[in-house]
Order: sequence, then C-alpha cells, then structure tokens
Amino acid sequence: MKMMLILLALPAFILPFSCLIYIIVQAWPALSWALILPTDVTIPPLGDAFSGVASSGLWNQIGGSLLMMFLACLLATPIALSIALFHSLWATVYQKRILLSLLQVLQGIPPIVYGLCGLILLVHYLNWGISLAAGGVILAVVILPLLSMNAIHALERIPIEHTESAKALGLSHGAVIGRVWLPAAWPGMLTGLLLAMARSLSETAPILFTATVFSGITWPDSIFSPVTSLQTHIFYLAQEGSNAQSVHIAWASAVVLLGLILCFSLSAHFLRRYEGSV
Amino acid sequence: MKHMGNTPLVYLLIITGCVLAISCISVLLWFLGDASWQFWQAFGLSPLWADEWYPYESLYGLLPAIIGSFWVMIIAMMIAVPCGLSAAIVSSEILPLSWQSWIRMGMEILAGIPSVVYGLIGLWVLLPWLQNIFDLLTGHSLLAAGMILSLMILPTMMVMAQDALRLIPLEQRETAMSLGLNWNQRLCRILLPQAWPGIRSGILLGLGRALGETMAVMLVVGSLDRVPQPIYNILEPAQTLTSRIGREMGEAAFGSMHFSALMACGLVLAATAIFLSLLSQQHRGRLNV
Amino acid sequence: MNTLQKNMCLEVKSASEEAINQDSVLNDVELAHVSLTLSGKHILKNISFALPNRGITSLIGPSGAGKSSLLRCLTLLCDHWQGDISIQGSSIRRWSGGEDHLRRHIGLIAQKPSVFPTSIYENVIFGLSRKERGKDQSICIEASLRMAALWDEVHDRLHTPANNLSIGQQQRLCLARALILKPKVLLLDEPTASLDPRSKQLIEISLHDLAKDMPLLCVTHDLEQAQRLQGQVIFMCDGKIIEKATAKDFFQHPSRIESREFLRWSVCDCG
Repeated sequence: MKMMLILLALPAFILPFSCLIYIIVQAWPALSWALILPTDVTIPPLGDAFSGVASSGLWNQIGGSLLMMFLACLLATPIALSIALFHSLWATVYQKRILLSLLQVLQGIPPIVYGLCGLILLVHYLNWGISLAAGGVILAVVILPLLSMNAIHALERIPIEHTESAKALGLSHGAVIGRVWLPAAWPGMLTGLLLAMARSLSETAPILFTATVFSGITWPDSIFSPVTSLQTHIFYLAQEGSNAQSVHIAWASAVVLLGLILCFSLSAHFLRRYEGSV
Repeated sequence: MKHMGNTPLVYLLIITGCVLAISCISVLLWFLGDASWQFWQAFGLSPLWADEWYPYESLYGLLPAIIGSFWVMIIAMMIAVPCGLSAAIVSSEILPLSWQSWIRMGMEILAGIPSVVYGLIGLWVLLPWLQNIFDLLTGHSLLAAGMILSLMILPTMMVMAQDALRLIPLEQRETAMSLGLNWNQRLCRILLPQAWPGIRSGILLGLGRALGETMAVMLVVGSLDRVPQPIYNILEPAQTLTSRIGREMGEAAFGSMHFSALMACGLVLAATAIFLSLLSQQHRGRLNV
Repeated sequence: MNTLQKNMCLEVKSASEEAINQDSVLNDVELAHVSLTLSGKHILKNISFALPNRGITSLIGPSGAGKSSLLRCLTLLCDHWQGDISIQGSSIRRWSGGEDHLRRHIGLIAQKPSVFPTSIYENVIFGLSRKERGKDQSICIEASLRMAALWDEVHDRLHTPANNLSIGQQQRLCLARALILKPKVLLLDEPTASLDPRSKQLIEISLHDLAKDMPLLCVTHDLEQAQRLQGQVIFMCDGKIIEKATAKDFFQHPSRIESREFLRWSVCDCG
C-alpha cells in the first residue's frame, strides 16, 4: 500500500518541477538584459513579420502587465477591505454565511466569463474600447473574492478578547479598527494582497480580448488606450510564432513572467511565516 | 452588534464598498444573460443538444463543446485525483515533518504558474510527444488538454488534501495506534474518512478549475467543432466551451447572433461553475452544524 | 503458610498473589533500566519495576515526573528509550507481530477521551480487523460495554453518533473499545481527571473488576483515588522511582522523605 502510494505520488512531485526546469533551460539562450530593458536597437527582421515585434524587448509588455495589476489592486483593495469590515462588524451569522458562500461562488466562476461580461459592459456599452481601464476593472473583479476572503480570515484570527478589552477601555469604533484590528491583521491582509497580485499577473483569458493587443503599442497614452501585456504576449507568440527565435522569446517571456509572479508569491509565503512566528 | 455607527466615515466607506461590490457582480451577471437573450430567444434550448456549429450558416450547436469540456474534465480528474491524493498522503504521513513546509511552498509556487505557460509546455513538449506515441497528425487532442489540465490542478488538489489531513488531531492518530491498527487500517479508517470533506471540496474545486481553464486548453485542444467519433475517442482534436469563446470572441461582431451564441456558451459555463461551487460548499454547511 | 498450600500454588501455576514473589514465574509486564532522553532532557532515569500479574498499580507523582512518558514508552508511541521492557517474557522491541500487533495487547486509555466521529457501535469495534468484524460480535460488544459500565446507558442507541455522549460516557466508551481487543495489560493515563464524580465512580468500579484478571497501571494525580484503588503504589519524581509500596503502607507510613513531602503538600492542596 505504502509503495503503491509512493509510486502514484512520484509524478506529482517530479513532473511540475521538471516542467519548471525545462522552461528555464529552453529560455536560457534568449535571456539577457537586452531582452528585458528598453532598447533602441532594432534587430533586422528575419523575413518573418513577427520576429521584428518579438525581438524588440519585453519592456512594454512588463510595463503593461504591472500597470494592469496595480490598477486592479487599487480598485479591489478598498472594496475587499470594506467587505471584510462589514463581515466582522455588522453581519449576522446568516449574512456571514451568505457572504462567504457568495464569495466562493464568485471565485468558482471561470475568469473568461468575467472577461465576457467586461467585454459587453465596459468595452461596448460604456464604449471604453479595448483599454487598460477595462482590463484593470475586470482583473479587479477576478481578484476580489480572493482578496476579501483573505481579509476576512485575517480579521477573524484576531482573538475576540482583544476587541472586547479595547471596547471595555472605552475606545470608539474607529479606534478599535485603527488601533487593535489593523495592527494585528495587516500581515494577513498584505499576504492576501501579494497573492492577489500574483493572481492578476497570471490571468490571461479575461484580458485577451478586452485590454490587450499584440503589436503596434509601446506605452499606453491614457487609461483608455490598449496595452500589451506579458501574459497575452506569450499566448500570441505561442500561436503565431513558428521560427526558432520567437519560440525562444516565448520561453524567455514565460521565465520573466514566472519571475515576477514568484517575487509576489514568495514574499507572501515568507510574510505568512513571519505572521506565524509573531 | 448594534450601536456601531459612531464613526460616520468608517460607516460610509463600508456601505459604499459593499454596495459597489454587490452591484458590480449582479450587473456583470445580468449583462451576460442579457447579451445571450437574443440567442435563447431565437433557438430555445435546442442548441444544447445540436451537434453542428457553423456560425456562418447560422448553425449553433453547443453539444461538441459541452462534450469536449466534459471529457477534458474527466481526463484531468482521472490523472490528478489519484496522483494528488497519494502525494498528499505521502507528504503528510510518510515524509519527515521538516520537509512538509518546503513541499508546500513548492506546491503553492506551482499552483501560481500561469496557465499560458502550461500552454507553452503542452504545445511544444506534450504535443510532439503524443504525436509520436499515438501516431497522430498533430497531437492536438482532448487527451493533451486533459493531461495539461491535470498538471495544473495537481498542486491545488494536493494542498487541499494535505490541509484536510493535517486537520486530523494527533490524539485520533495516537488512539488508533494504541488500538493496534496498522498503517493501512489507520489510513482507511481514520485518515481518509475524516479528511474526506476536504478532499471532496478539493476535487470539486479542481473540477471547476478544469472547466474554466482557457489558455492552456485553447493552445492544445485543436479547436475542431465536432463531436468525437466515436464519442469516447479522446485522441481527436476537439473543442471545449472555453476554447471556443477564446478562439472566436475576437471575430464575432458585437450584437450579432454569433456573439450572442458565444455569450450563451459563457452562460452555460458560468451556470456549471456556480453549480459545482455550491456543491462543494454543501458539505461545509453540514459540517458546521 | 504450610507446604501443602505452597505446592498447590505451584501446581496451579497461575499468577496468584503468592506466585508473584517467586522468581520462577514470569511477570506479565517488566521494565528494566528504562531511560528516556528527549532533546537533551532526561525524562526517565533508569526505571525498573514489574507489574504483578493482576491487580492495580497506581503511578503517582508531581507533574513532569515522567509518568505519561512512561506509558508512551510502554506502548512504543515513543521509541527513543534505552533499556528493556518485556511483556510475558518477550521484549516489546522484538515482538513477533511488529509494534501494531503489540499495541493490540496493551490497552491504553488517554486522559482526554478521543472517540472517532462514527457511531457508538463502530467505535467499539474500531480496533478489530476485517476478519474479526465479519463474525458476529454482538456478544463481545455487549460484554466489553458491560465491563466498562456503559451498556445500560447506550444499549438502545448503539448506532447513534458517539460524539453525542457526555465526556464521562465517552471515556467509558474508550475503555470498552480497548477491552474488546482483550488486552494483556491495561494502561490508564489519568482516566478520570476531567470527569464528573458519577463517571469517576463507575470507572473505578469497573477497574476493580478488571483488575481481577489482568494487571492495570493507572497514572493518577488524585491521591484519594490512589487510596481507593488499593493495590500497589509507585511514587515517581524527576524521572526516578522514589518509592514502591502497597497503597496502605504508602499512605500511612511513607518511608522516604520525598514521599512524605509530596503527601504533605498534596494534602495542603486539597485543603
């Protein structure tokens, strides 16, 4: 029995890590600072229309991804915070259950469905067009359940005695939130925020036809202009690119994207450890 | 809790936030229904079991994509559930304790790898491989999509199962040990039954994820709008609900019947996902009672 | 005691009170020079004693004396100890059926009852193998529940969840669950520490009954309980055995100064 389980478990341990290593090995030839940093050097096209685009550095794509991520977090954080405060201040047991169940349902809805809704509402009805703003709002909705559940859990972990003794001291409600809850809950909330950032960087489907274009854009002029993003860049390269160079660049973009995501998720991990140790 | 409104600013902030959240969600879902209304109105529910999808000839059968989504989910689960479950058992019951947090960190990192990167692996590693093994034309197939999906679900599934196993208190394990149960009996009588609610919701979560995953599936599934012949032929290129939306959304003109049909796909997708999510919550309610 | 009687005892060769004193008869449970060190701390220091083949032995001593650790060593839940522990002459380290098989022969009752989240019936037969479960076990179940003084309270609702029982009933359920495996020795780790007086009394009565044909080792904080249980008393402090005597002797004329101190302080505690 034990041996059988270990045999079954082996692929689960080995395969994902070998994938990770494979990606890095594939990307190695194309990885360089020139790929990431903005360059004026135009590499002569290799007869493929895509190679020109593919070789002009990933600076714009990284910028676009990060811009959208920040926009999404900026929109979603206050909403998530207020949902969490509502949950722990006013909600009755019944309301709490409904709220959590609603959040879980929202988390279960595929991101591409949010993309569709955003396409109808933001891009067409509100006439924002394919734009940074649409992408930001859609990503904000995608990460909202994750963010608010984390905030709720962070607040729930505060022992009730702390709150009660603070109230017994006659602190007003704002003071309880500001001086008891926030100091105790910020590591948990920040962890949630970092995870949400990682998530919004990795979501591709909802922004594919609402916010991004493949080429012709360097830097968005306003929030209502289209952007390029790293995740969709990889997708376009994977679909269209056939020559060896764009394949390499796709792998390299994947590594860059992974690196960005790892920054956020690793710091979330260590923050959680720090929280556990405090 | 009452008498809480003594800080107007906080009050205002919270109410606005909540109203904003709820309204934006309901508006989004309403628009989805509204946009697909044209489609439902024109065809009724019959597209759900019609098997031809040719938008240019006004044939909108959803069946191929539904069957494709179904197969992809089944294949992904058949690989991911046994592997993920046994990996969770091995890492929490057999491997030393000090390894656990590292394994967990690794799994959480892997769970965060974006789907489009898995898509790359599927496209340039898995497809050539399948092509050689089964002697296929391109390798684009339901099997490839299922395999890539199982790789993506594995970490999530494993983390959930591991959490469920870790929640079982030490006393229960020690009591079982002092009753002289051996390792297998402890696994079957204590660990699995008690961890089952968590494992179950992990499985349902994985199902939902497999259903909704777009990018990786889109790259490897082949996008052929046809019911597999015969129906269990998973080596053929096919289409799933998500890959259809992803492929054709760019082409469909806003307001056309094609657009509306794609919205209907989205609605089916959302309804199934909501159903799965409610199903996974059902036991939690029961557990709390 | 005349020679005739002595001969009879030898003929019967059962583990009677007299036979304990004879070296030729194997003790059921025997500890020899058991020491335990956990992360640099000496928990048990050179413990040696033997349990009589029937009757209750109370293990008393202040908190942190290593009483619970001793029980864990005996069941191999903790196996970093040195020395030797043998049950009916064979060392538990080299038990023929492995440690899981060994634990079937040692009943262990923890301080806090831990019932499994299934029915009462399932809980009682939890330790049985699939083969044993196949046979009709109703007689065994009734017998062990009766021995644990729980039958009268639960016989009409054997298939209801065990979590609904009170803590005292749960503890007796744990006792029944251990008894159905027909253990050779029963170890109890403060079995009544968190129970109401009624359950406490019921458990003590069943312990007295059980002690008629198997050795019992009962860790307890409650000196009055140790007196009520009679039998032997082993007093431990700082991982060492300080004194070993019958309950009567120990409480009336403690021979060691540590014991006297302990008794005095404990009496003060009780008020």
